Amino acid sequence: MASISKAEKAYIQSSLLSDPPLRADGRGLIDFRTIALESGIAPIANGSARVSIGKNAQDGGGGTEVVAAAKLEVESVGDGEDWTSCNDSSPTAYPLLSPNALDDLQHDMTSVLNATLSHPTIRPKNLGILPGRKSWLLNLDVIVFSDAGNIFDAIFMAARAALWDTKVPRTKSVQYRAKKGDRSDATQAMDMDVDETAHVGSALDTRQTIQVTDFELPDYWDEGEPLDGRQTWPVCLTLNLLPTLHFLDSTLQEEASVPLKLLVFYSFPLDATPMLRGMRLLGTGVSDLVQVKSLLKDGEKYARNVWVALEGKLKDEDLRRNKKARERFLNR
Amino acid sequence: MPEITILKRPREEAVITQRMFFKKTARGKVIKVLRERYLRDDISCGIDGCRACDATAQTVLSRSGDTTHKNFPTGHYILPDTNVFLAQMDLIESNFFTPPIIILQTVMEEVRHRSLPLYSRLKALTTTDERKVWVFYNEFRSETAIVREDGETPNDRNDRGIRKAAEWYNTHLTLAHPPIRGQSNSALPKVVLITDDYANRQKADKDKIPCISVRNYVDGMKNSDQLLDLLSATGSDEVEPTRAVAGRTALYDDYLPMSTLVAGVKAGQLYQGHFNANQYNYLEGTVPVPAFTKPILLVGRENMNRAVQGDVVVVEVFDEREWKAPTDEVIDQEATLKNDDAEDSEEEGDDMMVHEHESKALRAEHTKKAPTEKQPTGRVVGIIKRNWRAYVCHIDSTSLTSSNATSLGLQTVFATPVSRLLPRIRLRTRQAPSLIGNKILVTIDRWDITSRYPEGHFVRTLGKAESKEAEQESLLLEFEVPYRPFGKAILDCLPPEGEQWVVPPKSTASPEWRDRADLRDLIICSIDPPGCQDIDDALHARRLTNGNIEAGVHIADVSHFVHPETAMDNEAAARGSTVYLVDKRIDMLPALLGTNLCSLRPHVERLAFSVIWEMTVDAEIVDVRFTKSVIASKAAFEYGEAQLRKDDPKLNDNLTQSVRLLNSLAQKLKAKRMAAGALNLASPEVKIHLDSSESSDPVDVEQKALHETNSLVEEFMLLANTSVAKKTQESFPQTSVLRRHLPPPPTNFEKLQDILLKRKGLKLDVSSSGALADSLDKCLDPKEPAFNTLVRIMATRCMLSAEYFSSGSVSRDTFGHYGLASPIYTHFTSPIRRYADVLVHRQLAAAIGYTPLHPSLHSKMHVERIMEVVNRRHRMAQMAGRASVEFYVGLALKGRNEREKEVTEDAFVIRTFRNGLGVFVSKLGLEGLVMFKRDTQFDAENYTISVPSSDIGRPDVTISVFDKVTVRIEVEKDKNTQRGRVKMTLVSPVDSRAL
Repeated sequence: MASISKAEKAYIQSSLLSDPPLRADGRGLIDFRTIALESGIAPIANGSARVSIGKNAQDGGGGTEVVAAAKLEVESVGDGEDWTSCNDSSPTAYPLLSPNALDDLQHDMTSVLNATLSHPTIRPKNLGILPGRKSWLLNLDVIVFSDAGNIFDAIFMAARAALWDTKVPRTKSVQYRAKKGDRSDATQAMDMDVDETAHVGSALDTRQTIQVTDFELPDYWDEGEPLDGRQTWPVCLTLNLLPTLHFLDSTLQEEASVPLKLLVFYSFPLDATPMLRGMRLLGTGVSDLVQVKSLLKDGEKYARNVWVALEGKLKDEDLRRNKKARERFLNR
Repeated sequence: MPEITILKRPREEAVITQRMFFKKTARGKVIKVLRERYLRDDISCGIDGCRACDATAQTVLSRSGDTTHKNFPTGHYILPDTNVFLAQMDLIESNFFTPPIIILQTVMEEVRHRSLPLYSRLKALTTTDERKVWVFYNEFRSETAIVREDGETPNDRNDRGIRKAAEWYNTHLTLAHPPIRGQSNSALPKVVLITDDYANRQKADKDKIPCISVRNYVDGMKNSDQLLDLLSATGSDEVEPTRAVAGRTALYDDYLPMSTLVAGVKAGQLYQGHFNANQYNYLEGTVPVPAFTKPILLVGRENMNRAVQGDVVVVEVFDEREWKAPTDEVIDQEATLKNDDAEDSEEEGDDMMVHEHESKALRAEHTKKAPTEKQPTGRVVGIIKRNWRAYVCHIDSTSLTSSNATSLGLQTVFATPVSRLLPRIRLRTRQAPSLIGNKILVTIDRWDITSRYPEGHFVRTLGKAESKEAEQESLLLEFEVPYRPFGKAILDCLPPEGEQWVVPPKSTASPEWRDRADLRDLIICSIDPPGCQDIDDALHARRLTNGNIEAGVHIADVSHFVHPETAMDNEAAARGSTVYLVDKRIDMLPALLGTNLCSLRPHVERLAFSVIWEMTVDAEIVDVRFTKSVIASKAAFEYGEAQLRKDDPKLNDNLTQSVRLLNSLAQKLKAKRMAAGALNLASPEVKIHLDSSESSDPVDVEQKALHETNSLVEEFMLLANTSVAKKTQESFPQTSVLRRHLPPPPTNFEKLQDILLKRKGLKLDVSSSGALADSLDKCLDPKEPAFNTLVRIMATRCMLSAEYFSSGSVSRDTFGHYGLASPIYTHFTSPIRRYADVLVHRQLAAAIGYTPLHPSLHSKMHVERIMEVVNRRHRMAQMAGRASVEFYVGLALKGRNEREKEVTEDAFVIRTFRNGLGVFVSKLGLEGLVMFKRDTQFDAENYTISVPSSDIGRPDVTISVFDKVTVRIEVEKDKNTQRGRVKMTLVSPVDSRAL
């Protein structure tokens, strides 16, 4: 977003194109700044994470900082299809923008996030409560605290971490099954609560109308089971394209001096081939299919690195917050 | 200055410091709740002189604990598990149960989660002075706080927390008692975990935590005899955790889980309501639900499925084909189940026989009934809330095993509740022989599916049956009237001058006189029933110069003495109303207020709240004003006295004129009210003459006489109430306390209409209160003047009862008072004996700008909650009063029987059964049953039965509803239960003793 002069732009471009390429902070073209990730930062949400890229190690300032929080709410819905994500860049991140421009920017970010994450194919399977009547509505809030470049990578990383961290409270559906027929079968055991998975036995008995009407929380202390789709929430990788080369993790100035950016969204399920969940070209420049093809290949490679690193850190965080904390408590 | 340190906690400790749980709201949303937890090291163990704890901390527990238990000679404290409080609260509360108790926070929370009434009893226990109870906040002490493991159920986690705390306490005791040279460590007291959870005990044993079951613990106590009886039935399972239940056949269906019930009710497939037992037929009950115009009928044991009077139950309704009419037979539990043996029925051995009996009893030919009379039938599938309490019972002497009638062995006996609505209760006791002939208090503990009767335990003895004290107390208990004397905190709210309190001399500085009208010169008098001590209303009337009349009602200014949110106010709110028994008055407010400071006695100055109208001579209200005032009543009349004075032509003083003026206005007011469609209802009211306050024998029963002056007072009170209701409702549309009487649904009258039409050819128009009043006036039998009163009594029974409500809680068009035909009504005139009136006083004072309204009276929820209590108390008070009269009528009858050999009275038939008649003796206000041993010719259509004539050869005699018969009334003592009961037999037209 930084507006820079033509001279600055030319200077940055030429140093990137020089051999070896030079960047202001001395990184290589495909090096990331340090990424910090912390999950479970909003205890009242069902899952949350904070991601910062390029935070200054000394004073804790600078860098791109994004917080994402997922909240589950009970909704009465027809088919339980929709779930929303919402992106809110707080004005402090872009103090120079007018409210209208801020809205536009926010809309841009939200549409990218929504188009990728709300895709029907990656809808989590365990959001149902009562089939056809009630389900969890997943709200993902992403807040940009500060933008020092590479905002989309940060947003998607935070979103993936928050969703990974999200636990769906366990519910048990409860129903009352009206007993038809004569009174002689009064002694027959009446199995009144039927788990969603378990009502197979009575399929032949057409006299009984099964109607699940309500649910309960069997264990009010339990966070619940992880939200389905840990393997599918994609990471985003932004390839900044300067003709003849591309580089990663741009700073604001670098971002302003490239004509074209390619966003690729990849997920790497354990037992399947990598999935390209989407891609976007942003900017005024042009590209062709051949170039994009080769870029995709590179993008997949970089994205896998990000994926693996994120996965490791998320597991680490989980351990830190639960098992290790408990152990520390016991050994105090 | 205490040093304040701030402990900052890193976020990494969230698992320990934050307690998270989910909550499902009533609207079906799920909320995540987070609680911060701060662990500390300075939570005291509560033991005297503990060296390890802060010396300044308050302590409750003695240093050596309790040394009287034989298992723990070195002294001990007990640390009960949650299940002990849930199941054995009576034991813990007993005065004989003296060991020092440590209650853990975990346990408190679990009890609250499971049962709020038990939680409040537990809270009360922790605050009583005489008990050694220490609440230990184990979740906040860093050593005893625990964190839930992965996959641990809440229950297991709590059990672990309790064990952890017990373990900590035992190690802590060694620190508190450092070893003294020469003494071995074994002299240390122990902290004993008491639990009936077998698994928990096993785990505690493994960790070497002293633990014991409740029964074993009580067995070892020095006064175990008294205490063992208090053990509830659930505590009887011994070392083996599962008793062989499988061998016994289930008599009832299991209840559905609570969540299923709620789901079913929400979906409209099940119905929720209060269970009402049928007092004539113990095998039948009804559940009124809004979904049907008629209550759901439950026929037979299986369908009533262990519901007890007052429980909130969930009912499944049967297919419409199976809908039935209620039985028309009297089925008496004692007669039918006479041979059921308490000990034996443990096995349910004579199951077949009982079954046969009952099914025969139930085999009434429902099908013959007209289809309109059919009621929905159903069965209880679950209980939302048990309303079990302690019931007054007698021991059934036949249920004692005869061989050990004098021994102190443990035996199982039946207790028969005094109330006919309750089933017999089985209990195990060692004191059975000594309890015979006494009224005792029994609590129901549980009712298993395999047991025909509920199981309970003995709480305490009230005294010999039929002794006045025992009867009085049992009556109060039965109707849940709080009758304990007022505590010190309450009496401290009274003015310190006590009996000497007077209205201070008039001055602007005195707070009593602020904004008060000085009405001391008005000719005010009070008119009350004879012997009235709590005079809360007084009246005056005078002619104004403009030709109009000024009339005033002056009500004792109770709100001047009873301030909101004080101990006295809370107690009054809980009591709700003063209860009048024949020989005793249970006050709502301390007697100092009721009979002195707030009683508008003659010739003394009293604070009052006055409603003053300006009326035309035709009793049209020109103006009304409300003011706090000071009055000095000039006379206190009894009704009869005032009547005489009014009628005495020789008297012509101011006071008499005032009474006459009031009377003329009252008559016009009444005429207007009647024209508007007010009902003239009747309920049987009798008066008991007591010989003197000491002697217990009531001398006679007579019907209350009504004077013109009764109606005088009544009219003005109605007018005051209506005027005040309008005013407060205007000022506080959301929270004003009002009283309403909903119009009864027309279906309530169906039966009475049908009887009247078929028997007397009379039509009852129930389309409006005015129409009803008119048609009631036409219900006349020239030969029988009492017939009209009888119909009025029966019509009254078809109506709903009036209730208090908060104006913001119901829609505006349901404010009306049906009986009084008034669009709005409240109670303002008896603040000494009704709590609703106190609230209305406060609201009126705020409405006229005298005081600001207390914030609690702005809260709709708060007012609603109070109204609920007050409504219930009001109902209970009426029932208690009636029962007290009934008891004395019984005593009086007994006396008459002894004197006169045989008591016969005229009675009206009000109901016909297949095997009996329901009769009403209007002279005694007594309702009774005449039973026939043989079946008679019963015509349900026409409400008649035909019985064989007493003279052989004569045709059968037909008796129908509304017939006048003569009955012989005897009081006979039930051999088994010692329960005195009125027995009626027919003398004419036939002598039913032969039948």
